[in-house]
This record gives sequence, C-alpha cells and structure tokens, in this order.
Amino acid sequence: MHDAVSLEGQDRATAIIVTTEFLHEAEVQRDALGMAELEPVVITHPLSTLSDEEIGHRAAEAAEQAKKIWLGKA
Amino acid sequence: MPLDAPNTGHVVYDPRGIVEATAIPLGKRVADLNGLRLGILSNKKWNGNNLLRKTRAILEDEIDFAAVNFYEKESFSKNADPGLLGEIIADNDIVLTAIGD
Amino acid sequence: MARQKTVESRPVESVVSDGVDLVEWYYEKGFSDGFPVAPPTPEKIAATVDALGGDGDYVEARVPPRWGSLTREVLAINMVMAGCKPDYGPVVRAAMLALCSPAFNLHGVQATTHMASPLLVVNGPIRKKLEINAGHNVFGSGNRANATIGRAIRMILLNVGGGWPGDLDKSTLGSPAKYTYCIAENEELGYLAPYHVEKGFTEDDSTVFVMPAEPPHSVTNHVADDPEGILDSIVSAMSTIAHNNAVSAGHCAVVIGPEHAAVMAKYQWTRHDIKNYLWYQATNTFGEVAFQHRYGKVYNRSLPKWYKRDVDARIPVVPSAEHIHLFCAGGEAGRFSAFIPGWGHMASPVLRELDGKAPAGGGMVCEDGTCYL
Repeated sequence: MHDAVSLEGQDRATAIIVTTEFLHEAEVQRDALGMAELEPVVITHPLSTLSDEEIGHRAAEAAEQAKKIWLGKA
Repeated sequence: MPLDAPNTGHVVYDPRGIVEATAIPLGKRVADLNGLRLGILSNKKWNGNNLLRKTRAILEDEIDFAAVNFYEKESFSKNADPGLLGEIIADNDIVLTAIGD
Repeated sequence: MARQKTVESRPVESVVSDGVDLVEWYYEKGFSDGFPVAPPTPEKIAATVDALGGDGDYVEARVPPRWGSLTREVLAINMVMAGCKPDYGPVVRAAMLALCSPAFNLHGVQATTHMASPLLVVNGPIRKKLEINAGHNVFGSGNRANATIGRAIRMILLNVGGGWPGDLDKSTLGSPAKYTYCIAENEELGYLAPYHVEKGFTEDDSTVFVMPAEPPHSVTNHVADDPEGILDSIVSAMSTIAHNNAVSAGHCAVVIGPEHAAVMAKYQWTRHDIKNYLWYQATNTFGEVAFQHRYGKVYNRSLPKWYKRDVDARIPVVPSAEHIHLFCAGGEAGRFSAFIPGWGHMASPVLRELDGKAPAGGGMVCEDGTCYL
C-alpha cells in the first residue's frame, strides 16, 4: 500500500491487487497512511497454490476491478 | 474506554497508543484508458507475475494502451525503491500492482 | 498539513470501580497475549517513564502494521503489563527502535504467514546489571528479565502494532517464540569474542541484536571432539529445504553451546573460521529447492541471481558467511548447539547500542542509531 499511496500522490491512478485474506490489512494500511479513499482490487484467496487456469480466472476478476478503479467507478 | 466510576476505583490503561494520520487525497482518475501508458509493478511473489501477465493480456484485448511497462520490486515484502517509483511515475499514466497473498 | 488524530482517539487512562477484577478486565478488553497481565498502576508507570527519560508523551516510534504511536507512556504501560522492572526500559526501547527501523521490515514480519518472530540478543554490561540469562535454559523459562523483556516487545507488537493472530498477523502456525524470545550472549566464558565486539562495538557498550527468526532447532553432538565434527552437525541442521532460508535466502543465527564453543577455542577457531565453514558446507541442490521441477519449471526470484539454477548445482543456504549471526550461549553442561533459521531476504537483522551510539570500530551503515547488518 505504501507504493500505491506514493504513486497516487503523484496522480498515477493505481490498482493494487490483494487477495481476500489480506484485504483487512490493506485497509488498515491505507487508513494509517492517510489515503482512506484508496480501494484495492480484491481477488479470491489464495494465489500462490493455483494452477495456470485458475490464475486466469483471478486475472479476469482483477481486470474488471482495475478498470473501475482507474476510471473512478469503483 | 471510560467506564462508570463510582467511589475511588482503579485506574486502568489502554496499551494501544493512538494512530495519527495526515489525510492525503486520492490521485486524479482518468476519463479514458485508451492511449494511456500502463505501468505494471510486480512484487515477485509466487504466481504474482503470472497473474499480472494474464491481467495485462485481458486488458490489452479491450484497451489500446500507448505503452505497457513492466517493473519488479527488489522484494515482495518491502516498499519499492524510491528510484524505481520515480521511474514508474515518469513513464506511466496508470499503474497495476500486486501485493498481498 | 496538520496531523489529524483518527477516530481512535481515546483516553490512555480511565477508572473502573473497586470491585472490578483487573486481570479479567484486561482480558476482556483484548489487551492480553493470552497470559494474565500485571495490572499497571500510576506509580509503576511513572517509575518506568522515569527510567526512559521522562516525558510520557514523547513518541519513540510508530509500530506497524497498525502504525500506533509508541509514546514512552504507552511503552511503560506494556512493560508493566508484561511484568518488567523499570530498569528494563532502555533495553525494551532500544529493541523497539531497532525493530521499527526500515531495514528490519517489521511490517512484513508482523503480517507474514511464516512463523517468524523477532529474536532479541543482548550484549554488554547491561546483561549483568539486569540479570538477563545467558546460561542454562537460555531460551527457556525461569528468568524474569528474559521472560518479561521479550514479552513486553510482543505485547507492543500486539497492542500498538495491531499484530493480532488471524487479523493482521497471518502466521499460519505461530510459535512459542511469539510469547517471548529474548536471550543474552554468554560473553564471560571467552570462547568467542562477543558478537557486538565482532561488529565494531567495545566490550563496555551494551547492544541489542534483533532478527526475525524461527524457533531454535537443537543440534546434538556428543561424539565429535574437533571443530569440523561439531560444525558438521550444525551444517546438517542447516542443509534442509524445510526452513525459509533455503527458499528465500537472507540471514540466520547459530548459537553454539559452551561445551561446543570450548572445542572451537581449543583449536583456536575464530568467529571468521566458524561462520565460513558453516556457510561453505551448508548447501542444498537447486533441484531439491525446486522440487525437481515437478510442479512446473522453477526459477525462484527470492534467491540471488548468482545461484546456479541447474538441478545438480549446490547452492548455499545463506548467501555469505556474514549472513550467519553467531552467538555463544547456554549452560556449561551438555553438548548442544542450535540453528535458528531466519525469515528470508525480505528483512535484515539490525544491531543497536542502547543509546544509539555508533560503533567505535566503524564498518556498518547506521541510521538513527540502528546499524544494518
């Protein structure tokens, strides 16, 4: 989240992908860093143990949300 | 938390300390994704690069980016090097990054 | 822009009625590490803040991942709850400042799914002053300083840092080291130069070393009577793909028990000799680390680029001898040592003199009194 806050601070709209298991941490971080409006892209946990095909599904989840975040429609 | 305090009572303490934050506004949003430069920042976590590659491929099917630039952090658990962030800011309009898994 | 307090703003102290069971009150509020806390009193907190230099509102650090403000008063509250004496204050503070340095990456250590917990090793005269145990049962129970200094650190990481299990602390298994993990080095035996002296401090300096660490792995060797034989047993403990160093590089620690250290001294093996032997001999094959590519072709970006990626290539468990942090500790009876894996390249151990003084001998990059290893 630190990276995303730095990038957003320079007007680079940033879509950060986290898994569901780490969403709370991401929210605590962005609040502590002062950027309460920063919404992450949330995909189903886990990621590290997935097959190639399953990663493809996660990518589809991510792509849809990323577009909305960049366009301000999240 | 303050509680009812009849009599003299016992003093109790909250060991957590406060969280102070300076409010920072979100960056500007974009109106149209076509023609923009997309920066992709990977944290090198297992399957992270694969996820970002596939997400990029899906996005590129619909969006005509002016450029797509790929970057890797030194470590998945640390903040990106300021020099790397500077490079990303200079060369991109929007960013996609992966962290928590 | 003016700093704004969040809606978490609340009084540090309040009052409950005489009939309240204070031990239960702290449990009910969720401020305990699982063990009963010692309910703080104004007198104990004042004494601890005094030992820290006064000014209870002074912010020593902000503790991730919650980024709570660790004022001297809040530090004192957690210390008293943990059972610390006020005199322990400078050690607990130095440890927290070290942990909150950027190189240590406390945020990552708090949040990881790995079981890593900060290991604290104390060197210098402060050990004797505070009676921190460096002898028998050094990693175990029975000593107030070891138990409560380590516990105070963990309580700060919970309460101020927000590292609660299952919430922001994602550790799959945790470990007993998440209750307390504090030892002193046994410098008096003289078998090895003290750790902090190796790093450029003087014997009269008191320092804290912190490293994210797995619990100790016992190494038994009751047979060898030469350095190589003993160290080969430690090498055996290191040369496995099971711990995090094998797959994520980074730093580790080795604690040599006094009977083993006496053999090193007899043959005049120095710290340099021991660390280099361990580093050179402790290896896995890349194939073992890559599971023989059974689950897909593995490169593993967490390992240094210069590790050869051939399945038969032997790669070191840690990237250099300087990634092995060597201590002599434990009782004088028993032929045991311990290997302590670290978390990986994601964090660096750090070393700090209690008052943030730089080492007279130089040799390290130090920032705000904390030296990077």
